[in-house]
Amino acid sequence: MTTSLTEPPPPRVALGGTFLRGKEIGVVGAVVVVFAVFALANGNFAGVSNLQTMGVDLAQYGLLALGVSFVIITGGIDLSVGSVVALSGVWSAWLNVHAGLPDVVAIALALVTGAAIGVVHGLSVTVLGVPPFVTTLVTLVAARGAALALTEGFPIDGVGEVFTSIAQYRIASVPVPTLLFLGACVLAWLFLERTYQGRQLYAVGGNAEAARLAGIRTRRRVVLAYVVSSTCAAAVGVLVTARLTVGQPSIATGWELNAIAAAVIGGVGLAGGVGRVLGVAFGAILLVLINNGLVILHVSPYYQQIVLGAVLAVAVVTDRLRGRGAERDRR
Amino acid sequence: MTALVEATGLRKTYGTVEVLRVDRLSLAAGQVVALLGENGAGKSTLVRVLTGATAADAGRVDLAGRELRNGDPAHAQELGVATVSQEFPLVGEMSTAENLMLGRRAGSGRVVFDRRATERAAAEVLGLIGADVLLDQPVSRLSVAQQQLVEIAKALGRDPRVLVLDEPTSALGPVESRRVLRVARDLAAQGRAVIFIGHRLDEVREIADRVLVMRNGRLVADLSPEEATTGAMIRAMAGDEAEVLVEGDPPRPGAGSVLTVRGLEAAGIGPLDLDVGRGEILGVAGLMGSGRSRLVHALMGAARTTGGTMTLAGQPYAPRHPADAVRAGVGLVPEDRKRQSLLPVAPVRWNISLAALPRLARRSWLDPRAERTFTEDVRKSVKVRCATQEQPIGTLSGGNQQRAVFGRWFATEPRLLLLDEPTRGVDVGAKAEIYHLVESFAARGTAVVIASSELEELMRLAHRTAVLARGRLVTTIPRSGYSKHALMTAANSEGAAP
Repeated sequence: MTTSLTEPPPPRVALGGTFLRGKEIGVVGAVVVVFAVFALANGNFAGVSNLQTMGVDLAQYGLLALGVSFVIITGGIDLSVGSVVALSGVWSAWLNVHAGLPDVVAIALALVTGAAIGVVHGLSVTVLGVPPFVTTLVTLVAARGAALALTEGFPIDGVGEVFTSIAQYRIASVPVPTLLFLGACVLAWLFLERTYQGRQLYAVGGNAEAARLAGIRTRRRVVLAYVVSSTCAAAVGVLVTARLTVGQPSIATGWELNAIAAAVIGGVGLAGGVGRVLGVAFGAILLVLINNGLVILHVSPYYQQIVLGAVLAVAVVTDRLRGRGAERDRR
Repeated sequence: MTALVEATGLRKTYGTVEVLRVDRLSLAAGQVVALLGENGAGKSTLVRVLTGATAADAGRVDLAGRELRNGDPAHAQELGVATVSQEFPLVGEMSTAENLMLGRRAGSGRVVFDRRATERAAAEVLGLIGADVLLDQPVSRLSVAQQQLVEIAKALGRDPRVLVLDEPTSALGPVESRRVLRVARDLAAQGRAVIFIGHRLDEVREIADRVLVMRNGRLVADLSPEEATTGAMIRAMAGDEAEVLVEGDPPRPGAGSVLTVRGLEAAGIGPLDLDVGRGEILGVAGLMGSGRSRLVHALMGAARTTGGTMTLAGQPYAPRHPADAVRAGVGLVPEDRKRQSLLPVAPVRWNISLAALPRLARRSWLDPRAERTFTEDVRKSVKVRCATQEQPIGTLSGGNQQRAVFGRWFATEPRLLLLDEPTRGVDVGAKAEIYHLVESFAARGTAVVIASSELEELMRLAHRTAVLARGRLVTTIPRSGYSKHALMTAANSEGAAP
């Protein structure tokens, strides 16, 4: 064992204030550029009606990305969110239409169900030690099945007024779902950056054993992360049902991958312990801009997927290069 | 007798410290040669030079009559040297046979994996050491001793003439150790040279045909089995300075007891009793595998205890999780900084404030400015040198990282601080600063328990030193009775065997 007797040279310090710290600048810049390009290419892109559509899309992708980020920060992964969206969407509709519960109660119960799924995930990962990938893969399959079973494959029609007004109501021209997403961002930011439990979440992802030996109840933090993720997914399920005015069991297939992609594009490290709300939000915005812009420009849906894949690849490769740079600094 | 290993004029220097100075060494075939010495005496450096893992600054090594290309491990392997250590770990989910034949092909198939031929070849290798291990089981299901045997068998796969066993028994119980030792003997009887690096002197006496003792990078004794009494080996390891007390005393302990432990039992340790008072520094010595780390982890609530009672500052103390310990005012600086202490990509600030966060927060809320000021104060008092507290802690030197980990607990003002190998992997200058830190904890009234494999460290810092052997408390030696000789004798005492 040898240790160098010389101190390493002081490493470079990231530029920018605490708000725009190094990592997030890239994705924020990309959002600005992509928005400008699409707006110039097509006059309708930046119009109010399209902005409102994108806002509602953003609420869906963004909430999922936000929730999944909590899990990824602890060093886990949540593949189940797309299926939980579908289950929650039809479950809230079923409670409302078939069980005859008031709109608000049905929505609340759907959210509670989401939270319960999160608790099960968390306990499976921490107490049973089942890897997050496997735990949530089970739900990916099973929750989709439950959604189909509940509806026997047919949409549930006739949800109440609260549902429809969530989707249609606007405050100062901003759709309610978009406002909900912004509120969720503020809450997540407050939790992650301004409470000690939030900091402990990062610590668990950064080095679980070190966190435990420093007196952090790591299991509780991990369970909390899964609860946040599943509850966000359940909320998105309600939003989608509200938007479609029916409970559709086939919605949100593959959305978990969009959510994870948005998080990674926003600078959340898949190894855990790294990631900020600002980056996740802009990662989701970038995804929505690209999706919507390509549709407006009449690009074939197949090419859209290639573009999204390319964006993700760029994000992952930059992350790797940055990681390697940091390792070199450490030598 | 022919010499299999012949070394002349070996020198190795790190920085300004000469860690190896061996003028002549010759090892014969058919012998088990034990290599003894304290931590840092140069055992591993010598072995690494002999096996090509480290390049010597000067000197020449001949293996079976051919000169080893300096610092070329592949060449050493070609010349018939194999090392058994944790550096080439087993693949847990693969079977014993697959592990033994890893990287080689058995049978005639060029593409298809031939399971029968692999198991046949593996059985042959295992036969060399007479081990009966199930070939088709994943190695993760084997006991630690069996895994150790598989590792030895794996090293034998290339039919080496020189075999290095680096602490092969430190993780094993007495019965299992005996099996591994018998294998070492058999291998020597087959005409190989076996270099056995050990800590337990009773084992060394049991198997060695020759005992080499190192101190400060030199060979200081070359003993025959008749000469190698426990006393003689300890005298050689400890050297003349053994009776000299190290300069400088720690601050006087205050009055009052902080921690009392009665009949503590946990996996592999106990039952044992301990008392530590305010401002007192209690050393914990013992060989590898004697339970030093386990004791510390049990006190922290990080390892399950199975019996006994503890009190902390007069209150009953039964931590079930480190969080309980931290709340009661206990802190731990663990042994493996990278794996157990650091959040490597997180800033210095996060690493320092980690354990103090709940105290720092008001109803869960952290005030960033207050946290920064607080951390900056701690950083200054524990002297972490960095450009800003926002830089990742992974970019700092080992000594700075370790001081930051001390800062983490400095920030919580603990009643009891537990240290496990607190100066591992830090350089000499940083060591002295860490000693000062430990003393400043004690001066503030913190009770300190320091487990260490470096006797100088304990003699320098601890008011008293408790010596463990095989999980039991052998004796507690007061500062006035310190000598390496006394500590080593206690650590090697048989009286502790169950």
